[in-house]
Amino acid sequence: MDFQRLKPHLPWITLLILVAIVGTADDTFLKPANLLNLMGDIVPLFIMALGLTFAIYIGGIDLSAQSMANLITVVATIYLGSLGGWVALLCVAVGAGLGTLSGYITTKLMVPSFISTLATGGIAISLSQYLSGQRALNMDAAQRDAVFGWMIAKTGPVPHELFIAAVLLAIALFVERRTTLGRVLKAVGAGEPAARASGIDVARYKILAFAISGGLAAIAGLIFSVKLSGGAPAIANGFLLPAIVAVLVGGTPLTGGVGGVLNTAIGTMIVAVIRTSMLYFDIEATAQQMVFGLVLIVAIAVTIDRAKLRTVK
Amino acid sequence: MTRLITRQKLIQWAPFLVLVVLMLVFTAINPAFFSLRNFGRIAISSTPALMVAIGVTFIIIMGSIDLSMEGTISVCAVVFGYLFLQWGGTLFSSAWIAIPVTLLLGAFLGLLNGAVHVLLRIPSFMASLAMGFVGTGLAVMMTSGEKIFVKDDAFRSLVTLRYFGFPVMVYLALLALLIAWLIQSYTTLGRNFYAVGGGEELAHASGLNVKRVRITGFVLAGVFYALAALFAVGKIGIAESITGANFMFISITSVVVGGVALWGGTGGVLNSLVGVLIVNVIDNGMVVIGLPDYVQDGILGVLVVTAVVLSTDRRMISVVK
Amino acid sequence: MYQLSKVDKKFPGVHALKAVDFEVGRGEIVGLVGENGAGKSTLMKVIYGAYQPDGGQILMDGKSMRFANPRAAMEQGIGMVFQEQSLIANLTVMENIYLGYEQQFVRFGVINWKAMAEAARMQLAKVKLDIDPGRITSTLSFAQRQLVELAKVLTLEERVQGDLVILLDEPTSVLDEDEVKLLFKLVRELTSRASFIFVSHRMDEVMDLSDRIYVMKDGAVVDMVKRGEASVEAIQHKMVGRVVDKRYYREQRQVPYDASKVLAEMKDVKLPGRVAQIDLKLHAGEVLCLVGTEGSGREAILRTLYGMLTPLAGTVTLKGRTVTRFSPRGSVEAGMGYVPRERKVEGIVAGMNVHENMTLSQMGRHSTAGVFRIGGEKALARDWIARLSIKASSETADCGTLSGGNQQKVVLAKWRSGGSDILLLDHPTRGLDIGAKEDVYEMIRDMTDDGVGIILVADTLEEAIGLSHTIIVVKDGAIQKRFDCATGAKPSLFDLIHYMI
Repeated sequence: MDFQRLKPHLPWITLLILVAIVGTADDTFLKPANLLNLMGDIVPLFIMALGLTFAIYIGGIDLSAQSMANLITVVATIYLGSLGGWVALLCVAVGAGLGTLSGYITTKLMVPSFISTLATGGIAISLSQYLSGQRALNMDAAQRDAVFGWMIAKTGPVPHELFIAAVLLAIALFVERRTTLGRVLKAVGAGEPAARASGIDVARYKILAFAISGGLAAIAGLIFSVKLSGGAPAIANGFLLPAIVAVLVGGTPLTGGVGGVLNTAIGTMIVAVIRTSMLYFDIEATAQQMVFGLVLIVAIAVTIDRAKLRTVK
Repeated sequence: MTRLITRQKLIQWAPFLVLVVLMLVFTAINPAFFSLRNFGRIAISSTPALMVAIGVTFIIIMGSIDLSMEGTISVCAVVFGYLFLQWGGTLFSSAWIAIPVTLLLGAFLGLLNGAVHVLLRIPSFMASLAMGFVGTGLAVMMTSGEKIFVKDDAFRSLVTLRYFGFPVMVYLALLALLIAWLIQSYTTLGRNFYAVGGGEELAHASGLNVKRVRITGFVLAGVFYALAALFAVGKIGIAESITGANFMFISITSVVVGGVALWGGTGGVLNSLVGVLIVNVIDNGMVVIGLPDYVQDGILGVLVVTAVVLSTDRRMISVVK
Repeated sequence: MYQLSKVDKKFPGVHALKAVDFEVGRGEIVGLVGENGAGKSTLMKVIYGAYQPDGGQILMDGKSMRFANPRAAMEQGIGMVFQEQSLIANLTVMENIYLGYEQQFVRFGVINWKAMAEAARMQLAKVKLDIDPGRITSTLSFAQRQLVELAKVLTLEERVQGDLVILLDEPTSVLDEDEVKLLFKLVRELTSRASFIFVSHRMDEVMDLSDRIYVMKDGAVVDMVKRGEASVEAIQHKMVGRVVDKRYYREQRQVPYDASKVLAEMKDVKLPGRVAQIDLKLHAGEVLCLVGTEGSGREAILRTLYGMLTPLAGTVTLKGRTVTRFSPRGSVEAGMGYVPRERKVEGIVAGMNVHENMTLSQMGRHSTAGVFRIGGEKALARDWIARLSIKASSETADCGTLSGGNQQKVVLAKWRSGGSDILLLDHPTRGLDIGAKEDVYEMIRDMTDDGVGIILVADTLEEAIGLSHTIIVVKDGAIQKRFDCATGAKPSLFDLIHYMI
């Protein structure tokens, strides 16, 4: 009972403890400049995690996020020249479109989301290889700076990516807390049969959740490609695991219904701190994936609501 | 009632028909497709994938899923590579012990995977996905991205030595398939997979130790992943942290396309053989008729969705997430 | 031989079994009858080991027993033939018969299918079923599956020393007349090897087969009659007989409905699952009660009206408009509300608070361009919390933490506050304590005063009679009888039960 009470507070407690540990071990860590840089670096991951939150919040998953981001880096790089700033719109449209496809396959064709998003991911991989000719592409530096330079600039010590992240978080939070969409998504995650019995067209909203997930993965891919000034079909590999970890350690369980986008913000910060702490404690960078894998297992085990699983398959 | 039977019959035979039709089509476009030489190529590329598919078939029959294969294969490949070189570097030394050790390692990784899923009560797709990440991470850590070259001629004869146009490993793979089929059809464990997949609660009520069956299933799958690792290393003579890459999507697609329903309880390893062949024939045929190979992932995606949709009895399920 | 002595079972808020005495002799067939909710299924679960009694004793040959689970009961010779098919459909017949006990056929790790088939054939012979034991179970008819179930339980004969007690739970519900005869003949023959406990809602069958019949009501055994000692009518009277205070159901508040205003109508409706020829009309201010046994088709009728099922034939008309696309959304838009039986699954969303639950069905009313006016939403919730005296700390309390009665009030408030004037109530008082029940009755009268039409599937027959203007008895998917229930001229329990079973 006490643990159940504590559970909602675990994410930020974990974050504080981690920050305290790393902060005492390394006194440069807590310097504002360092923290700002740290957070600026993790923005693409955060945005992808933000999108994933919607898929997980309704009790699904989106395994296509990484492939989607890969695709978008290619799309952004190729069409920046001809479309200029409008390429951003194209990117989001592609992401949301593929997300819609995942959602449609999941809800209307009754294919579990982990398979449907895997499949959509496969389509995204093929597309990105086709568009890129299986090569790494570079953006025209001058044009990048002209169109998207503001994204990666700084105002004083603050990286602009943080503003982008803040705006997206604010919008997502507004959607989650104040709109009918957010309310339905919560209802679907917490008790889909009741939402259905209340006369809600559940499928439509679920498709929307996957579309948002795809759209945000696209924005993540766009910022990433602007940062690296290019795109390639595998450039964002390694994003999916930390993004899922960020959502789950933030306190949105796989079973959905609780948690939300604010939790994911905290979860992303936990991921960032774990990453940096590994540097400080001399753990090899190659160990990172394994560590996050283990963190993921712990996070799922702690957060998952087993009362909702009749049989665990 | 009769509709259900025809549906089952259809699902039973459709994959095989699809395979035949595909082969006819590719042959019609380019007769070079229908040659022993090309079949040898298809067989070689199918071999490791078949082992993975067999492993995951047992899991899918139980109604679970396993997404950990890429990690398990990479770890097994890398450990095998190191041990093999460490212990003599040729099959004619004590280095052959590395083979059974690798199989045991596969079993152990499967055990861990099953334990995380069953004992921590985490849905298998997520437990195994996480374990897969851990496995790949472990392989990366062990190798730091380096490749391990296994050049022993005796070991490489897996692929170099040919009888009737097919290399040795193809025959070994068929032997493994036979064993898998025996397990599926003639052992309590194999039959219990079907019982769990057909009705977990009913099986439990009949006194079946469902947890043990599930975990054993993952152990068995682990052994077949280790076999896949051995064949994969034998195929190219290199063990590395990405030896297991891409096997997840291919194997699951193969199994489902072969006619093993994602909801469990039906199909078997022979279906998976057909599925693996379909996927590899498409892959090979694309190249033979001159299409770029990057369409593969997209085609897999379309295939898997189609197969799941066709095998789903919509009256049975209400909430899909 | 087998005996229950003063067995008690309590669940939170329910005293399910009250000092039940029950006895089965060797080779005897004992019938067990009672209304829905009388405690039959709880008693069965105690017998086959799924529940452990809170008080009293289970005695076998005078020895006190305690079963931790169904398997432990099986080891003592107590087997259950389930009402819902409990065979695994994708396995062969023999695999189902020996599921969990395959080890006896394994040599060197390999199953000897021939030996298993041989053994299975012997078991099938006991139930006179001549089929290939290697057949896939899903290809059998229901009657054959029922017999395979029986054969599976009869393997206990070889496995257990001593007497067998076999429970048959509604074994005839999926069988036709000839199949029932065959089954009964078989059961009588098998009494040389086992005793049977026979549970059925078909009174004539129970009378036909049983040596003695236990009658249950409200969790207690109210009578035991021997074969030939009582008529069907007498037993039915015992099942229902009780004196009811008219005031309990607010009968004094019942006023005639407005016969000129039809809210919903079903004409010649046929549904999947053997429900056919449903004709009914619901008027403004009317409480129309569907009465029938479990599985008679009441739920299917409700779910069709709500748009969750699509009829195969016939028309449904809501307020004069014929429904073409069946969906809950359409029904809600037509002013319908649905209070489901599974309150915690379909009624409320646990984890969401009171105001969120209340507006779930009417979000459009409380939002502009998809953005909620949360102030208004909360005011509405506060208003209804006060009007229905819902006990919640505030409108932001989690609905999952409320008591059953208060959850039900939230569900009712959800529909009433949205202006629904056709309400479908499926067991609205299930699991509620008496005070909460009376609140629900009061609310039903309030709603009909406002011109709301209500279709009710009641928890008990008294409730149906007490509340309704009209009762429709449904049996085996068809309407049997329509009763007019104006105050002072209500049908008796016996009148209803006569048409039900």
